[in-house]
Amino acid sequence: MIKTADLFSIAKTGVNASSRLLNTTSNNIANINTEGYVRERTEFKSNLTGGVDRGFTDRVLNQFAQNQLRRDITSVGETQAFYDRIVGLDNVLASEANSISGSMTRFFGAIQTAADDPTNMPSRDSVLGEAQGMVNRIRTLGDFMKIKEEELEQQIQDSVTTANALIKQIGDLNEAIAVVSGSSAVDTPSTLMNERDLAIRKLAEFVSIEVRNSPNNDSGLVVNLTSGESLVLADGAFNVFAVGGDPDFTNRQLVLATQFSGNKANTELNIKEQEMGGSLGGLYRYREQVLEPAQRDLGKLAVALADTVNATNRKGLDLDQQLGGNIFDIPGFRGINFPENSDLGLGVQGRFTPNAGNQVSNSDYEVTILSSTLGIPSTLEIQVAAVNSDGTRQFDSDGNPIVENYTVIPGPGNFHNVTGGIQLEFASGTSYVAGDKFLFQPLRNVAQNLELATNRAEDLAFAKPLRVEVNNDNLGDALVRTTTINNSHVDNTFTSIYTSAFDGNGGLQGPGASPSPTFGAPTQIRFTSAENNVYDYQVLDSAGNVITTVEDAPNLENLLGRAKSSGNSPAWPSEFSALQDYPGYDMSLEGRPKPGDTFDFKFNTDGLSDNRNAVEMAELQQNDFVRQSTGDNNNRSTFNESYATIVGKIGAQTANGRIDLEASKVMQVQSSDWYESTAGVSLDEEAANLIQFQQSYAAAARILTTAQTLFDTILAASR
Amino acid sequence: MRITTNLIYNQNLRAIDTNQGQLSEIQQQLATGKKLLKPSDDPVGASQIIRITEELDKIEQYQRNNALVTNSLELQETALRSINDVVNRARVLVVQSGNGILGSEDRKAIGSEIEQIRDQVLDLMNSQNSSGEFIFAGYQSSKQAFEFNPSAPDKKVSFVGDDGTNQIQISDSVKVQSSSSGKTIFEDVFARLNFGVSNTSGVTLGSAQIDKQGTFDDFHRVNFDTLNPANNQFRFEVLAGDQIQISNVGSGAIISTQPYISGEALTFGGMKIDMQGAPGDSLDISLQRPQKKNLVETLNDMFIALTDSSISSANFVKAIDDSLVGLDNGLEKMALESSSVGARLNIAQSVNASNLDSEIANQKARSSIQDVDYAKASTEFAKQETALQAAFQSFPRIANLSLFNYIS
Repeated sequence: MIKTADLFSIAKTGVNASSRLLNTTSNNIANINTEGYVRERTEFKSNLTGGVDRGFTDRVLNQFAQNQLRRDITSVGETQAFYDRIVGLDNVLASEANSISGSMTRFFGAIQTAADDPTNMPSRDSVLGEAQGMVNRIRTLGDFMKIKEEELEQQIQDSVTTANALIKQIGDLNEAIAVVSGSSAVDTPSTLMNERDLAIRKLAEFVSIEVRNSPNNDSGLVVNLTSGESLVLADGAFNVFAVGGDPDFTNRQLVLATQFSGNKANTELNIKEQEMGGSLGGLYRYREQVLEPAQRDLGKLAVALADTVNATNRKGLDLDQQLGGNIFDIPGFRGINFPENSDLGLGVQGRFTPNAGNQVSNSDYEVTILSSTLGIPSTLEIQVAAVNSDGTRQFDSDGNPIVENYTVIPGPGNFHNVTGGIQLEFASGTSYVAGDKFLFQPLRNVAQNLELATNRAEDLAFAKPLRVEVNNDNLGDALVRTTTINNSHVDNTFTSIYTSAFDGNGGLQGPGASPSPTFGAPTQIRFTSAENNVYDYQVLDSAGNVITTVEDAPNLENLLGRAKSSGNSPAWPSEFSALQDYPGYDMSLEGRPKPGDTFDFKFNTDGLSDNRNAVEMAELQQNDFVRQSTGDNNNRSTFNESYATIVGKIGAQTANGRIDLEASKVMQVQSSDWYESTAGVSLDEEAANLIQFQQSYAAAARILTTAQTLFDTILAASR
Repeated sequence: MRITTNLIYNQNLRAIDTNQGQLSEIQQQLATGKKLLKPSDDPVGASQIIRITEELDKIEQYQRNNALVTNSLELQETALRSINDVVNRARVLVVQSGNGILGSEDRKAIGSEIEQIRDQVLDLMNSQNSSGEFIFAGYQSSKQAFEFNPSAPDKKVSFVGDDGTNQIQISDSVKVQSSSSGKTIFEDVFARLNFGVSNTSGVTLGSAQIDKQGTFDDFHRVNFDTLNPANNQFRFEVLAGDQIQISNVGSGAIISTQPYISGEALTFGGMKIDMQGAPGDSLDISLQRPQKKNLVETLNDMFIALTDSSISSANFVKAIDDSLVGLDNGLEKMALESSSVGARLNIAQSVNASNLDSEIANQKARSSIQDVDYAKASTEFAKQETALQAAFQSFPRIANLSLFNYIS
């Protein structure tokens, strides 16, 4: 090959090339601290005619390392977001000052102390004080979760805004790169590409994405969600996230909204939030797997605790000689209208069924009106489906959805028991239309709204309303073993099926005041025979009428219960059996009665030292009341175990979150090192280059002087 | 691998970060003495600690309850023992008063001592605890349990409390009865069982009385019908051939036929009947319904008998018999209650011991889960400290290594 170029032009290209190299090196050194900067190299080819071409500067980038780094950024984003949120819960549960467990133990301990001396006002006050303390602890934790929930919504909103901005930026950069690439075919627009790569990496922190080169083989990049939905198209058109909530507007959900230009119809795509990865995925995973279940677990504990203590207190007699009332106020809840309902003004109220705190499970419920029938009374056919906190259906052990149908009478004040220890009131009468749907989240806001119903220590019902008097003329040696009170609901008009025999006025319903036209409530047991270890006895009312007679009772347990089931001549009054639990009390004896012995139920007037109900209340601590899971499983645990489960569960989730985070960080370190090892600037290397290119520049310049000398020599020779 | 400048800085920074984080965690463990600082440090341990802590708090409460139960049971025991002592003294006095050589002045002297004992027993039955509650009054402990009214026509001592007894929890599974009703201990005491002559037809009755109380009590227990009074009538009918037939009037059942010689005392079922009669003559007796008599009532009756100078000797003997049986029955009832109180005290004591044992076991378990092993933690601390120091020292030296330093 004959090099046609002369020394001057070779030297010129050499100096130019070295100058470019020095430029590139200087640029690398200058940008060592620029985020997203990828080191550049300028490469040359020899000119056919001699000398070197003007060279081509390109980024030194390992595409595989970059993809790996992006994936690892996504997984760090997800685990970091999850861990940062959950660690707050972990910390608050670690605090002993906030421990619900400690406050529950102190509450029951205070009841025990009060049970030791039921008339002692200071110890009664301390029970109320501890009850308030316990409510405060539950509320603190409930409030904490509520605040976390609000913060989370805010964070999701912010993340969505940032992600949208990034998506838009990537789209814009795609467009800009296309324009620049089109106008100058010499160098790649590396600054714009660096910016685009950086924006993509930042977006990867929020969601898991896939990046592909444009199918048109131009410089554009296509960005998709890993699940397939497009975020950025090669020509710059893009989709953005929008947040919505259906039906629960406080519960944000993500949709992809297309932004087509022109008259192409825009559409919205639902996204599976938990599976989208990145910090948004982490936040949703935290909400669905940690926060919402924890809120419901805490609520479940609060309801079970408050309801069982209330129920026990209602069965007792307080220091004012009145039947006990509620100690805790359990907040009710409201059905959320689905947006497609016939009338968004329709309301359905709900509350927890008294005495059913142990039925409450942490399900949400979707209630659908199946049909509405006019008549007297009008009825509604409803379907109650148990759903998870994320709105998906719950299934029983056989894989069938948990669904129950009920016929209810709508109208204000008509509360109907449905599944899961709740009752619903369809106050809007017949305005409901088939297909209307409501979402109930009974436990979501219970914990932070729990309150004490009383601040009078006298209202603590430590006594039982009845005592059994053993007639002093009894000749047998039978004694009272237990007196049980199951129901003390006062309703002298008998409209409620829960009516008990208590008249609410310091006594029991006598003849004429009870549901039966002929008898009063049972007040006396009289034995008529006690031979061969079987017992015959009569049940009498306060006027001495024989209500029923029991023959050959094999033991002395639950004498009224036996009379209810096997009494005859006359049989147990049907008016009594029609009620749920009438009269609501019973006795068991021990020892041997003799014929003629009588045992009387007496209202416990002045029985102020009676601690029987307090002992029962304190015993609640060791009994299993909190439903462990939803569905058919009816296992229950104690209050404390239930709290320990919440703590253990969040502890385990946090520990897992930490391990996940550490693992993904290690992965990210590796891939970032890998990426950095090709794309990063090494100052030492650049220093060496600097010297090298300086020398090559000098050398090229030297060619020039050589050429000059040659030229001069020739000139001199020809002189 | 190509090492870039940022890589060097990042790696060093990361090493220092990690070391500092671990160091601060160990420092926190050392400062608090706990290795379990957050539930996530040991989720299973954290929930175990909650359970164990509850267990320990409960044990503490149970021990407090136990002390209270023990106190109140000891108070009852003391009251019962005092009553027992003075009633025994009264019993000695009653026996002594039966001595025929005592004159009415002597009887009066004994009577006044019995009166004092009566008041003392009444006082003890109205024992109060430290908060002023009457311990034998049942649930109505604010009221005095027993009231004594000497001018009342019939019963002079009345119980105004109720049958209520309280229980106190002293372990998860054990509840101990902490109080007893005075009604069960003092009111539910049987008086002497007796009979009366209800009808005579043809016979001349000398005397009819109880000869052997124990035998009579057995007879009474077997034959007394609580519902049908007619079944409590027994007829002694003289038969020809020096025999007497004893039958139940209500049922007509013949119970026994015994040899009988008119004019000679007949002993049957602990009863001694002295009567004369020809065949066909008969005597009806009826078993009296068992009566219950408070100790104070018994003592009061004895006091009245002792201070009544006009009492017939037969009535006086009867009064002594009545009060001896009454006092014995009362003492028996109290002995029963004392042993029950003692048994409960024993239970409280043994539960106390087992509570202490499980307290220690639980504390050990909790400590093994949450307490820091200082030796291990301080070694770990030293290790991390060295690592951090190494990182600190090496970082500037590596950072200073730059080719630019050598280009002049």
